[in-house]
Amino acid sequence: MLFAATNLPYPSWLNPADNTWQLVAATLVGLMSLPGLAVLYGGLVRKKWIVNTMMMCFTGFALTLVVWMLWGYNMAFGPQAHFGSTGSFWSGFIGHFHPIASAFSEQGQAISGANTLIPFHFPTATLVYFQFVFAAITPLLFLGGLVGRLKFKAWLLIVPLWITMVYCVNAALLWGGGFWAQKGAVDFSGGYVIHLSAGCAAFVGAAIVGPRRWQDRENAFPSNLMMVAVGIGIVWLGWNGFNGGDPFYAGADAAAAVLNTNVATAVGLLVWMFMDMLFTKQKKPTFLGALNGMLCGLVAITPSAGFVNGTGAMLVGLIASALVWVAWNYLSKVRPFSKVDDALGVVYTHGCAGLIGGLLVGILADPHMIEYGVVGKIYDGAGSFSVAGWFYGHSFHQLWEQTIAAVWVICWTSAITALIFFVVKKTVGLRESDEVLAIGDLAIHEEEAFPEPTFGEPVGTPSHSHSDNV
Amino acid sequence: MKLVSAVIKPFKLDEVKVAAREVGVSGMTVSQVRGFGRTGGHIEIYRGKEYEFDFVDKLQVEIVTTDELADQVVDAVSNAARTDTVGDGMLWVTDIEHVVRIRTGERGETRRPSTLSDSSGDRTKEEYL
Repeated sequence: MLFAATNLPYPSWLNPADNTWQLVAATLVGLMSLPGLAVLYGGLVRKKWIVNTMMMCFTGFALTLVVWMLWGYNMAFGPQAHFGSTGSFWSGFIGHFHPIASAFSEQGQAISGANTLIPFHFPTATLVYFQFVFAAITPLLFLGGLVGRLKFKAWLLIVPLWITMVYCVNAALLWGGGFWAQKGAVDFSGGYVIHLSAGCAAFVGAAIVGPRRWQDRENAFPSNLMMVAVGIGIVWLGWNGFNGGDPFYAGADAAAAVLNTNVATAVGLLVWMFMDMLFTKQKKPTFLGALNGMLCGLVAITPSAGFVNGTGAMLVGLIASALVWVAWNYLSKVRPFSKVDDALGVVYTHGCAGLIGGLLVGILADPHMIEYGVVGKIYDGAGSFSVAGWFYGHSFHQLWEQTIAAVWVICWTSAITALIFFVVKKTVGLRESDEVLAIGDLAIHEEEAFPEPTFGEPVGTPSHSHSDNV
Repeated sequence: MKLVSAVIKPFKLDEVKVAAREVGVSGMTVSQVRGFGRTGGHIEIYRGKEYEFDFVDKLQVEIVTTDELADQVVDAVSNAARTDTVGDGMLWVTDIEHVVRIRTGERGETRRPSTLSDSSGDRTKEEYL
């Protein structure tokens, strides 16, 4: 023994490996937002919208953390407020509005209604931060449907309202030990709470904000594919924290979730690319197409990463990528999808993929994949937790629970998002004026992504201005 | 004096430069321009949506030359810029009223000899091919 137990610089309930992994995983997830999504979106929008889009990513992240500290965390993950009789829907609706303020509320042992089986071995501050980075990425995801016309001030109002009224409620119900969690619905890392919800919010929000200018839609080609590569590369590898962190123990299921996540993503990327090569008019593999498939794999494996085995993970990538490819190419041409300007296609790569992944839990979950605890005599805790899908449990029970939870997330998110957007529309307004939209970044921020004096000071002769490269 | 202006494919610049020097041209001005002609633009596809790029990147080469040299310059530039495919560009010749060399104030035809043989470190056309 290296130290006598009493000399350890932390309390007996704290496991340094668990705490370390949880903080590393949280940081990886944070990197998916900043700079991941900021430069990914910056690369996908037109040059004149880069600064505005990145600014919304950074402010959305910051606003969410403030809300999270003041009331968001305890509303989603604190003790249930019990608005109704025990066991009723309102009893398991949300927690109390209570800030993370005292020393104990940061350094005390983390407790969550989501995990009653065995205790967490890290402090509350770790759990608050870990859950924050998930909350923060969600508005950034639905931002993808709104870029290129959403008013900046509207965004500053939408984020706190949406986190409070939509995210915290869904998180409490599915993760915070709320009603749907009690019923048995599972969402490993946020296929429903994050991706399905973001897809619905993007679609409803885009419908209410209205489309981009027709000139901008005609010329909506991306500004920089290398920035897209940087951003989405961080998103892929950041997902190791996203799914690898959600067992809350640096154990076997964390490792399995990381591996499953990556193989589903690889399959998703390849499936979309081959479908592009086989079934499109041009029959060409496109980079941005492959990335869509990659994202479908990531999103679809999210609700099941630690519940399915390797075969299941590959099937998730295959099914999700193929179905979303069909939705992207055909569903987008029929109403109401053809009428809503979801700028970056969030409803497909996040909404559809999240829904498909959540339902696949009810089919592919392997009961031998243990999320908490271990099987056998060496472990004397409260027991282990795993989920059985139809393939293994020969019962549609889990699929039914997953379906009900999905219907709830779609309805609640869509209705409350619509309410928030209408309120903001009546107060500060949702759209920039057409004169501002024609100019973009310079009109809103007095900044542009690639400032360069036209006359005067020499700007050098970088290699990209060589005649062969124009 | 004549001004020979040519809109060419960007990757042909080096060959045009060498060919012009070989007939005695001592300087040229190049600008990055965009345009379309009979061939129109092209299509690019991003995330399943087709975008029309009407204007194609080109270079505009401008050479000021003497009346006697003009025909040779036109032949040299057009031969060097030709790929025998659509979009090779266009060339035109205009009269110049007069020319002033800014440093010396010289006016009219300056008749400086070609400096190809002694000062140029560039490869000749033959070395390129």
